[in-house]
Amino acid sequence: MSIRNTPTRWGHIAQSLHWLIVILIIIQVILATIADDLPIGPKKIEVYAWHKSVGITILSLAVLRLLWRWANPTPELPSTLKPYERMLAKVTHFGLYLLLFAQPLTGWMMTSARGFPVSWFGFLQLPDFVPKNQALYNAMKETHDTLALALYVIVFLHVAAALKHHFFLKDDVLRRMLPFTKRKSE
Amino acid sequence: MRLLVSSVVSLLAAALAAGAAGAVAADAHYTLDAAKSTLEYQFTQAGALNKGKFTKYAVTLDVAGDAPSKLDVVIEMGSLDTGDKERDDTLKTADLFSVAKFPQSHFTSTQITRTANGYDAVGKLTIRGVTRDVHVPFTFSPANGSLLGQVTLRRLDYGVGQGDWKATDQVGNDVAVTYALHLVAGH
Repeated sequence: MSIRNTPTRWGHIAQSLHWLIVILIIIQVILATIADDLPIGPKKIEVYAWHKSVGITILSLAVLRLLWRWANPTPELPSTLKPYERMLAKVTHFGLYLLLFAQPLTGWMMTSARGFPVSWFGFLQLPDFVPKNQALYNAMKETHDTLALALYVIVFLHVAAALKHHFFLKDDVLRRMLPFTKRKSE
Repeated sequence: MRLLVSSVVSLLAAALAAGAAGAVAADAHYTLDAAKSTLEYQFTQAGALNKGKFTKYAVTLDVAGDAPSKLDVVIEMGSLDTGDKERDDTLKTADLFSVAKFPQSHFTSTQITRTANGYDAVGKLTIRGVTRDVHVPFTFSPANGSLLGQVTLRRLDYGVGQGDWKATDQVGNDVAVTYALHLVAGH
C-alpha cells in the first residue's frame, strides 16, 4: 500500500485520516454525553473543554482530508453499482464531509455566542467565531444537536453500505479502506 | 453706624477666613461617579481568558493636601456579571461567593504611600467573610478624578471555591481585578 491513493485503493494518509476521525467522533459523542449529564462544576467545564478541543482537532483534520482528497486520485466505485447506488454513495459521502465541517463550526459558534472562549487543549486560545448573542446561541445549540442526529443516520447508512459491500457483494470497497489488508488481486 | 461698620468688618473677616481655608485646604472627599466607572475582572476558565464586571459598588477617597489618605471600596457581590446568567447564578452559590451570606466585599485602606508610578493602598480586603491584608496599587489624578489600577487576587485565599471548586485546573486561582474609576470631589 502506498502513501498516496491509487485508482483502486486508499493510501496510508487517506486511511489514517479516515480512521483517526472515526475514533475522534466516537470520543466526541462520549464526551458530549458525559458533559450533558454532569452537574455544573469544574468536571463539566473540563469535559466540555475536551469536547471543544477534540472538535477543533476534527475540523483541522477535515481540512487536511479534503485537501488530500483533491490532491489524490479517488478510488473508483465498483463498476457493478447501479446508477442510484452511485448517487446514494455520493450523497452519503458528501453528507459526511459536510458534517465534518458543520459540526465543529456550529459548536464553535455556539460556545462563542454563549460568551465562552475556547482554548485548544489549553495551548492556544481561539478567536471568538461570532460575538456574544443569546439568540444565536440558542439557534446554534439546536442546530448542533440536530446535526448530531443527522450524523448518526448518515454514519449508519455508511457503515451498513460498507458491510453490505463486504459480506453480500463481496467486493473490496471496505477492504481498500482497511489497513493491514490485501486486495483480492494483490 | 458703628454697628454697620463692625458687621461689614466681621463679614469681610469671615469671607477672608473662608477664602484662606479654601486655598490651603486641599482636603477633599471624593465619591464615585458610577456611570463613568468600571470595575472588571479576568479569570481563566477551561484554559481561556474570561471577563466579568461588577455593576454596583461604592468608592470613597479622602485626599489630604495633595495626597490620597484613605480609600474605601464596598462591592455588592450580587451585582457580579460575567455575561452568562447560568455562570453568574453559579458564582453566587454557597461554594463560590455565597452571596446570600456574604452580600458585600469590602476594602478599606490603613495606609496609603506614594510609589514611583502612583500610590499603594495597604489595607484589609474582606471577601466571603475572609479578611486579608492586600496592597492595592493605583494612580489618581485630582484634576479629572480618575483612579486607575489593577491588582491580582487569588480566589482561594478568600475561600471562593469550596468542594470541587477548590480545583484550579479549570477555573484559575488568579483573578486580575481592573479598576477605572471616575471620582468626584464632594466635601
